[in-house]
Amino acid sequence: MPAKEMDLPCMECNNAEAAVTTRSRSLCGPCYQRFLNYKVVRRMEKYKGPKDLAKSSVPTARLLLPLSLGASSSVLLHMLDKALARQLAKTSRTSYVLEILVVEPSTISPDQASCDIQFDKAREAFPKHTFNRVPLHSIFEYVPDMTEIMRDYVGPQYIDDDSKSNEERLAAFRDAASSATSKADLDTVLFTRLAVGYAKHTACESILWADSDTSLAAKVLAGAAKGRGASLTWQVSDGMSPWGVMFDFPCRDLSKPELLSYVSVCPELSEIVIPDRPLSDNILTKNLSIDELMLRYVTTQGEKYPGVMANVSRTAHKLHSTSGHGGPLCSLCGGLVENVNGNEDGITVTGQFATENPRFCYGCMRSRPDTVLN
Amino acid sequence: MAPTLCFNCKTERAVIIRPKNRHKLCRECFIKVFETEVHETITNAKLFYPGERIAIGASGGKDSTVLAAVLKTLNERYNYGLELSLLSIDEGIRGYRDDSLETVKRNAVQYDMPLKIVGYGELYGWTMDQVVEQVGKKGNCTYCGVFRRQALDRGAAMLEIQHVVTGHNADDVAETVMMNLLRGDLPRLSRGTSIVTESKASDTKRSKPLKYAYEKEIVLYAHHRRLDYFSTECIYSPEAFRGSARTLIKDLEKIRPSSILDIVKSGEDMAVLVPGNTVPGGKSCKSSAAADDEAGGCGSQNGRSSGGEMAAMEQQLAANDTAESRETEIKMPKKGSDTKKIKTQTLQYCEQCGYISSQRICKACTLLDGLNRNRPKTAIEIGLEDEEGSSTLARQMEHIQLTNS
Repeated sequence: MPAKEMDLPCMECNNAEAAVTTRSRSLCGPCYQRFLNYKVVRRMEKYKGPKDLAKSSVPTARLLLPLSLGASSSVLLHMLDKALARQLAKTSRTSYVLEILVVEPSTISPDQASCDIQFDKAREAFPKHTFNRVPLHSIFEYVPDMTEIMRDYVGPQYIDDDSKSNEERLAAFRDAASSATSKADLDTVLFTRLAVGYAKHTACESILWADSDTSLAAKVLAGAAKGRGASLTWQVSDGMSPWGVMFDFPCRDLSKPELLSYVSVCPELSEIVIPDRPLSDNILTKNLSIDELMLRYVTTQGEKYPGVMANVSRTAHKLHSTSGHGGPLCSLCGGLVENVNGNEDGITVTGQFATENPRFCYGCMRSRPDTVLN
Repeated sequence: MAPTLCFNCKTERAVIIRPKNRHKLCRECFIKVFETEVHETITNAKLFYPGERIAIGASGGKDSTVLAAVLKTLNERYNYGLELSLLSIDEGIRGYRDDSLETVKRNAVQYDMPLKIVGYGELYGWTMDQVVEQVGKKGNCTYCGVFRRQALDRGAAMLEIQHVVTGHNADDVAETVMMNLLRGDLPRLSRGTSIVTESKASDTKRSKPLKYAYEKEIVLYAHHRRLDYFSTECIYSPEAFRGSARTLIKDLEKIRPSSILDIVKSGEDMAVLVPGNTVPGGKSCKSSAAADDEAGGCGSQNGRSSGGEMAAMEQQLAANDTAESRETEIKMPKKGSDTKKIKTQTLQYCEQCGYISSQRICKACTLLDGLNRNRPKTAIEIGLEDEEGSSTLARQMEHIQLTNS
């Protein structure tokens, strides 16, 4: 009997109508999921454990997955959940467990709705993992010296009042930022610090960041534009962060559109993923933050030149790590306070801002409120 | 409303808002501050020694005119003891270069400096107009950049000068950093950020004293000192990556004016972290390969671009991706040390023209071969030089066969 007529059969299984076309492959939903899954699993190999996992006494690794409930992190969770289920079926134990951290979006930006529904749905869909939801101002709990760091950074007028609640103290710090760029820049720093603090608190050895290559490329360009070039080596590359917790980016080979397509062919995720807010067209360039500008640039150019944009994060990945370069680290963001060893005559924090005992790096000094630029 | 007073001297009326930090300054203070900053760059990087002979790469545009004016002022004010002269390249672009060269000739008189002009026509047998006629507007900046680099060195050699200074400003450096991140070229990123580039074997050293100066401030300086410069842009468009980086930088400057310097800072730090690079990125770049690249950066300001270069790279990356999916990974047994050997470029002389090159044949000769091969056989004689070139080439070809067999 002749096969059912199909407009465009899946190139892999030939059994179903292709649903997604990517990298000149037309694939059906399940084959597409497998295709993307392969690229992530390959990045997770170092956590696979020994071959005789069942008998081995290797301790189970604890990995933190910060879940924003956006497309990328939800897809990563879905993929790793499946991978762990396969491993469990094969060897009766798993080589790692996932700790899921959700930072309540309404505490990051007041115009974002609470994620109550999606959070509960995610917990139901992935019952094997530990979920926890914290507000952004819990950073004072997980990073004990944060109050002092903030006081040093923005000056006592914003933070000094001990009667303030954590929430008010964080709001005062964030309101002190003088521009959209500084605000977005500092928010990223705070978010990273919270995730690291939480990872340490829960004894996780690594953090799995779900950034797509699109997001990593934007981070590379934005980091360079904000004077944070030296920190890129751990901000977008797999390896040790300044706080002794590993950073890994298992989705680095996938683009944002590919991850969105994954959601579209994965019914289990449909009720979990909070859709991104669309990029508005009628906003003046000068009111954007540098992070937004770069994300827009990479997204629009990525439609035409996806490979070129993906190559940006690969390029930054090639840079040598700054660990071992010594020298004091920025107490806020963890970057080098001084120039990278070997860059003797370039622009320095002290040269630019003439502070006597700098605790903060060049990038953080740029985002500091009321900084008088030199 | 009372006029705002100068941030610096607090007496004169402020007429300028510095693009770099939004300080309001009077004319005198701005000129002073600008010059002092260039002086600090020069002394911090120890660019010159007393009595050194310097050739200023002069195009007649704002950057090189300001460079010449500032160097003359500083040389007198701080007794650098430099012997300055102007060196111009005639690319042979009618309606652009012939007019700007007139400006350079006037500058030579105004600043009382000797002037030397070297032409693409006489050096290579091809003017840029002829090149564009042959290859079209796409990719012509590659030819121009490669040719210019050699032409400046040869001009300097004719003047017996070992140090050429160019008008590259902070915007140019920032653009180079962004452009090379976009096209994934870390070695070039590293070379582009260093203030001095010199090749081991070449006698000519190059530096960019305006590396930390904002383009907008250069324009203001030229305006307020009423300098005589030529402001028309090159009529041929820049390559796609540079155009794209340029647009990004203009947007970044609108958002945070300091970002141009911030990119330079990032570039200097990243330069040190480039694999295989043991050279400090901030100060000097002693690279054997520096001799035959650093293309582009001609200062053309138009953002028009064909996108051809980006599309070509996209195609290649996509092909790599498909090829990779067909590959099977074969693990080789480990031998000895497993440190990855980084391929470094070695320095040699071009077999055709004798210019320093990282390849057997330098980039300019390779490009010229391509051009000459496709040159229509017209009745017009090109000149003796080309004849010689082709017979040399024939000899080279024999040589290749011998050594390869």
